[in-house]
Amino acid sequence: MSQLVIGQLLNGAIVGTLYAILALAVTLTFGITGIVNFALGAFMMMGGYLTWYAHDSLQMPYAIAVVAAVVAVGVVGLVTDLCLFRFTRNNLVNGLLVSIGLISIIEAGVLIVWTATPKDLAYVLPGVIEAAGISAPKIKLVVFALLLLVILGTYLALTRTWTGRAAFAYAQNSEAAALMGVNTAALESAVMVYSAMLAGLGGALYASLYSLEPTLGSAFILKAVEAAIMAGIGNAIGALAGGVILGITEGVGSIYLPIAFRDAYGLVFLVAILLVKPNGLFGGKS
Amino acid sequence: MNYKRLLAIAALLFPLMVHSESILAIGIYGLLAATLAVSFNLIFGFTGQLSLFHAAAFGISAYTTAILVTRFQWGFWTAILPAIALVAVLAAIVGTICFRFKLREFYFAVVTMAFAELARLIIMNWNDVTNGTLGMTLVAKPSLGGMAIDSSVAWYYLALGLLAVTYLVCAKVVSSWIGRCLEAIRLNDALGESLGINVFAYKLLVFVLGSVLAGLAGSLYGFYTGFIEPNYLSITHSLDIVAMVLLGGIGSLFGPIIGAFVLIALPHVIDLGAEIRIMLYGGILIFVILAMPGGITGIRSRSKHAA
Repeated sequence: MSQLVIGQLLNGAIVGTLYAILALAVTLTFGITGIVNFALGAFMMMGGYLTWYAHDSLQMPYAIAVVAAVVAVGVVGLVTDLCLFRFTRNNLVNGLLVSIGLISIIEAGVLIVWTATPKDLAYVLPGVIEAAGISAPKIKLVVFALLLLVILGTYLALTRTWTGRAAFAYAQNSEAAALMGVNTAALESAVMVYSAMLAGLGGALYASLYSLEPTLGSAFILKAVEAAIMAGIGNAIGALAGGVILGITEGVGSIYLPIAFRDAYGLVFLVAILLVKPNGLFGGKS
Repeated sequence: MNYKRLLAIAALLFPLMVHSESILAIGIYGLLAATLAVSFNLIFGFTGQLSLFHAAAFGISAYTTAILVTRFQWGFWTAILPAIALVAVLAAIVGTICFRFKLREFYFAVVTMAFAELARLIIMNWNDVTNGTLGMTLVAKPSLGGMAIDSSVAWYYLALGLLAVTYLVCAKVVSSWIGRCLEAIRLNDALGESLGINVFAYKLLVFVLGSVLAGLAGSLYGFYTGFIEPNYLSITHSLDIVAMVLLGGIGSLFGPIIGAFVLIALPHVIDLGAEIRIMLYGGILIFVILAMPGGITGIRSRSKHAA
């Protein structure tokens, strides 16, 4: 019993970091540029498919396939920012709806090119690590560590570098930031592209663990938004915590409650947090 | 004003001129979708609240009516009453939570979406009652004044009647003093509140009223198609309604009807694969938002201003 619980804890934490990387992307775009980009889920799905394509069809080594997919998704992020989101900056609802239109286009495109049949990546790193009666596939641990590293690195970059502080300044007052010498247009695009790449990386790593379906982005973006709001928008470490909490709740919850309600936990969390602590678990007062 | 009257007359005479069952079916679907769009526009376009609960109201009412009729042998019209009462109560609860805590814009959208998803999850997993993901088949047809509503023409007039009622109710609300309060709330609810407008009460009123109208459309829709499934409550369905309103013209009473008909008829007019259609749908949504903020009716009024 306890082994089952520990196993689900571990699994939940790994799925949770996948939620977290997308939640980080959501929280950065929303917190800094004020745009709610639901298409980040579709970017993640795209990252997964591109990795699968580069690895299985073009025979690239997995690491290079991941890099190529992340760069490609970054380019898509840049193009959508310049062509679409640039024009919805001052209207949250419009940005949200444009991103939803974008999801339809991306999902339909993937359906046309790669059909709805689930795609499985050839094994990247077989083998398991066993310790104290718990066995965990190596690849899951590697993905977990990599995601943690990226999220923590992003947090450090945000808090410790000039660009990071400029991004915070921009989020608080864009005009003042511009007057202080921040190139706001470039900064906005950089945030959009970086978020897209985070989502792409999430998808690229997801591809090594689970099968790919065109709808995976829509499922993940909801969890990511839930995690981001739970933590408090704009909070990078909070996004990690929110994602992991959500993943673990779902994993452990499915031992005791019908699995059908797995998707409900995040929704209940979301409503409860917004009502009790509108700035999120880790948000200040204000 | 004139073209609306003309369209209304055309809508009345439509079944007399068209005898094709499939075209009539598009008409019925269009009328029911238009009911959803007009009632949604009351909440979104006129009051500025992006509710993603609309499809849930539609689906909850459809399911309640269907369950009462098939499992408890109620008559269709008596079953509608508890169904919309349930929608009204649920909308009042969701609305009270959202508006009491002053959730705005994105947060309102997300919380209404969360409740809609919870409702969908419950319906999807309550197999004994709702038949889960398989959906329910409805063979019974309602009757009105001893006359069975089983022909397309009868359904057409029933759907037209519902749209007319919805349109008139929304028009009445918008043109009355309530409408002016709604406008104040949409533009700046804090300012409205400071002028003595009970922002909470008006938002709640509009949310419940719009949801009830959507519920009526849901009850009819279920019995017209003879089949209901949990996807009726999906976020995608709510977003389809948003697209109809935006395409037709947000904040216009008549626009959403045009938007609904265009989006319902489009797949039938141009024969496209499902994927291309979804892609086109997304493209239209993006184009309308970025390039035609007033929707289809917006073009007309803009050109009138220019002339």
